[in-house]
Amino acid sequence: MSKRKMDRRQFLKSAGAAGIALGAAGVSGGYLRPKKAAAAKKRPIPKEPIKLAAISFLTGAAAAPFGIPGMNTYKMMAEEYNKQGGILGRKIDLLSYDEAGGVDAQVKLCRKLILDERVDVILGYISSADCKAILPLSDELGGLIMAYDCGTHVLMEGDASPYKVPKYTLGFRTKAHLGIDNVGLALFIKKYLPNIKSVAGINPDYAWGRDSWLIFETTMKKLMPQVKVVGTWWPPLFTTDYTAHISALMGAQPDVVHSALWGGDAVTFTKQALGMGFFEKIKMAWSRGEPYPQEVGKEYPEEQIICCAGTHYFLYPPHDKWPLNKWFVEDYTRRYGKYPTYPCYHAYQAIATYKHAAERAGALVGGWPTIEEISEVAVGLSIETPSGHLMIREDHNGVEDVLVGFSKRVSDFPFPILDPNRLEVFPAHMVNPPVGIRTVDWINGWRA
Amino acid sequence: MALKRFLMRPRFIIYAVVILGFVFLPRLLSTFNLILFEYGLTFAIVALGFNLLLGYTGLLSFGHGAYFAAGAYGVAMTAKYFPAHFSLEILIPAALLVSLIISAIFGFVCVRHTRIFFSILALALSMLLYALVFKFYHVTGGSDGLYVKIPSVFGYTFEGVRRPQFLMGFYYYFLLGVFFAALILMKGIVSSPFGKALQAIRDNEVRAELIGIRVRRYRLYAFIISGMYAGLGGALWSFVNGHVTPDVAHWVFSGEIVYMTLLGGFAVLAGPVVGALIFTFLKLYAMGSTEYWMLIIGATLIILVLVLPAGIAGGFAKLVAKISQHFATRAA
Amino acid sequence: MFVTPSYSSIPFAKSSRVVQRNEKMWPIYILNGLYFAAFIFLISLGLNIILGVMGVLNLAHGSLYATGAFMAAWTIVALDEGASIFLIYPALLTGAVIAAIFGLFMEYFLIRPMYKRALEYQLLITFGALLLFEDVIKMIWGGEALYASGPFDVLGRIHILGNPYPLYFLFVMILAVVVGISIWLFMVKTKIGVMLRAISLDREMATAMGLKIDKLGTFAFVLGAALAGFAGALVVPTTPALLGFGMEPLILAFIVVVIGGLGSLKGALVGSLVVGQTRSIGIALFPEIELAVLFLIATVILVVRPQGLFGR
Repeated sequence: MSKRKMDRRQFLKSAGAAGIALGAAGVSGGYLRPKKAAAAKKRPIPKEPIKLAAISFLTGAAAAPFGIPGMNTYKMMAEEYNKQGGILGRKIDLLSYDEAGGVDAQVKLCRKLILDERVDVILGYISSADCKAILPLSDELGGLIMAYDCGTHVLMEGDASPYKVPKYTLGFRTKAHLGIDNVGLALFIKKYLPNIKSVAGINPDYAWGRDSWLIFETTMKKLMPQVKVVGTWWPPLFTTDYTAHISALMGAQPDVVHSALWGGDAVTFTKQALGMGFFEKIKMAWSRGEPYPQEVGKEYPEEQIICCAGTHYFLYPPHDKWPLNKWFVEDYTRRYGKYPTYPCYHAYQAIATYKHAAERAGALVGGWPTIEEISEVAVGLSIETPSGHLMIREDHNGVEDVLVGFSKRVSDFPFPILDPNRLEVFPAHMVNPPVGIRTVDWINGWRA
Repeated sequence: MALKRFLMRPRFIIYAVVILGFVFLPRLLSTFNLILFEYGLTFAIVALGFNLLLGYTGLLSFGHGAYFAAGAYGVAMTAKYFPAHFSLEILIPAALLVSLIISAIFGFVCVRHTRIFFSILALALSMLLYALVFKFYHVTGGSDGLYVKIPSVFGYTFEGVRRPQFLMGFYYYFLLGVFFAALILMKGIVSSPFGKALQAIRDNEVRAELIGIRVRRYRLYAFIISGMYAGLGGALWSFVNGHVTPDVAHWVFSGEIVYMTLLGGFAVLAGPVVGALIFTFLKLYAMGSTEYWMLIIGATLIILVLVLPAGIAGGFAKLVAKISQHFATRAA
Repeated sequence: MFVTPSYSSIPFAKSSRVVQRNEKMWPIYILNGLYFAAFIFLISLGLNIILGVMGVLNLAHGSLYATGAFMAAWTIVALDEGASIFLIYPALLTGAVIAAIFGLFMEYFLIRPMYKRALEYQLLITFGALLLFEDVIKMIWGGEALYASGPFDVLGRIHILGNPYPLYFLFVMILAVVVGISIWLFMVKTKIGVMLRAISLDREMATAMGLKIDKLGTFAFVLGAALAGFAGALVVPTTPALLGFGMEPLILAFIVVVIGGLGSLKGALVGSLVVGQTRSIGIALFPEIELAVLFLIATVILVVRPQGLFGR
């Protein structure tokens, strides 16, 4: 290379010229690219693997019954998809992160993942509090976020009905919200326990608990207005000692106690309540109780009302009628030694939604789609899952049926299962509000 | 004489370099790191005020998160209940006002005691605020917290601007300006007769009383000023974070404030600033590299207390003093 | 009929008051309060001993409690399913032992060098220890919850006024009383106990009189740590050992110390009873407010009688 000494002026001139040229190229390039992706040439599909961040509780009370099964399912499905060739030929690189540490830490983590690590999609979040804080970041930071387990209905709702949908262009919840659980419970109680006189509630003191009770109470007011509420309790999330609450509940003497306690809290509550003789007189109605018979084991009491957060149950749909469930249950059990529970089904839904949306969008644009394109295509997608069909609506929520039953001991299983003679499946249109209408307004608008 | 001039010049050169560096930082750092730096600046303001109480007045409060929360929640609740007034020129004074009121009330109770009583009392009061914010779910959002959107400034709304752009542009310079103003103000306070009185109280309470300094009242003033700095930091922080939760009123967060101040060194004015910046990056680096990040932070704190009690800036200042002394003796 | 048109979950709304129909539950509420007070008593006793004798507010006290819990849970789980009572119950003591060992290390490496320094440094170093301990526990016992209900299940339930009540809770209360009396006797009747009280009353005078401050300080710290660990072990048969669950007992112990008075053992007893009963009755009657009530009481006492009920 010749060692020509450029003087400063010349250097600045050439640098400026280069800059202008580049700028013009960039501007014109952006201008010239047509809006409709279909008209473009084939876009190259990157060779690097897809960075898929999965966030779930890996430590703490929520880990064993919830967070870890969810993460296990992500691992399982990532492997399955990679075996089938990946998504549009790209392998999935699953990055797992712990959801513990509180809302603030999760906000910072999400920011780091989107801005610094530039992940392709974030699948995660069990806690409704985390979701409430994180979903706004999807549009703020420009990252695709699919919430897989949180339930609060206000996540995607506006302040009044009707509200504009979707609330977040790049934020999804690949499951139905807690409306289905609590409306389903109320419908079930009306059918099977029409003569009860009083209910109480013990729910964790944050969005999930508060909103679950709100929907349940609103629905009960409509369906069974004669039933009294004798008290509501609000232990903070991850409380470890429920003895005072249990005694207080026993003192209030309700017929049924509604609870959205989940994870380790539900297990601890059940064990402590068993020890204190709670179940001798009182029934629980768990809005998401499906994992706990397996977690607690054979001492789990019978005749408890259990809702499955959808129709997610290892025995439903029956394996002879729905082979996907059969495969899912068998594969999960083989790998991890336990039956899959609803966090597992939810994790399946999240990763399957991403896969199908990406593939469909990729087919339409002829290459690797942008996250905006994936979001557009995801709406209206109907996906086959081990529990049935999942549809993603315009409000970026999933829509599902709900399954409710009574717990019952049988000889075939080491823990109580749902009594097959009194299983109810409430179809989606009965338990999901219409698009753009707030859940509370929808229920209040029912004609009695 | 010539030596004196020589020693004076580098200091101003350093100041100028530092200030220029701050001004041009958005060009140098990635978005993510710049946001981190902004977190550090907001904490620097908090630690600066906190040090007035700790380093200059000799009172260790393990409850200053309460005033941080006062500022942060002041902003967040205005967003929720008075969205029409959600603009920076109203929010900052509002946050200062709220933290003034709360630190005045809490401070009045606390400064009647010293040493361990004082620390426990400050802790208990902050936990009271924490419990109230936590439990009044329908007002404060409880443990879910509240969302903080981008504010408008003197009528100009940042329509269509995403938060990262906001933080990298206007807000960065705003924050920088407020920070420098706070720094200069603190320097003024500390050099004033009031500041000297505080140090006298710290060194020997009895003697200060005998000279005629009204110990309790001055302590209260120092408490309130430090509380207002914390509230200012909290309000500024809320825009960077976008979200406020009761955790900032918890005593562990207050402990982090103490940590930052000590990390930097509480004998030097700029010490807490250094500490806050380093702590912010240290914590994130630790969280990013290992799941046992609390071990790292805890061990660092322990080592710091055992080995380098004057903090990093303090230790550095001592080193500089030693070096210049060495040069002085050599020249002599 | 639902009483309010809006939601019964709003604080102080009419329908959020509990409709108390079963007067026979009151003895149960009182007993629950005593049960909770028993734990808090053991923890705050330890905290007060350390505070009184050494003048150190041990911010890592909750971590010692958690360590005891994890150790006991792990030991009970490690023993076989059908292990005899004579193994399961002594297993609880392992919690006290491990906490004592950790306490020993803590005192020697962290607290001792701080004797000469200002109080602030002691607080800071115990805060650092708290952060450290969280991860040490995670490293040793992992991140998941440990359940160990053996000692609880074995005892079963009795019936009080027609209401079932677990015998284990009564066992814990009795144990706490026994420990409390033993400590009291120790402090009053034995030579070491008297020396400890002397140091806590007037440190300078005690040194002048030739008492071995160092060794006695270590002893006090280890004793306090063992009490915390024992409390943690006792809670494990009913609640799972979880990361971070030492935080709440720590705060409650602070409240007890504040209400009862710094360094006072009698204050620890009274304070624990207040805390325990407030929590139990508060949850039974005003479930919305829970923890906030306790802080309010503590604040009122701090304002009115800042040295606590029995403090100096």
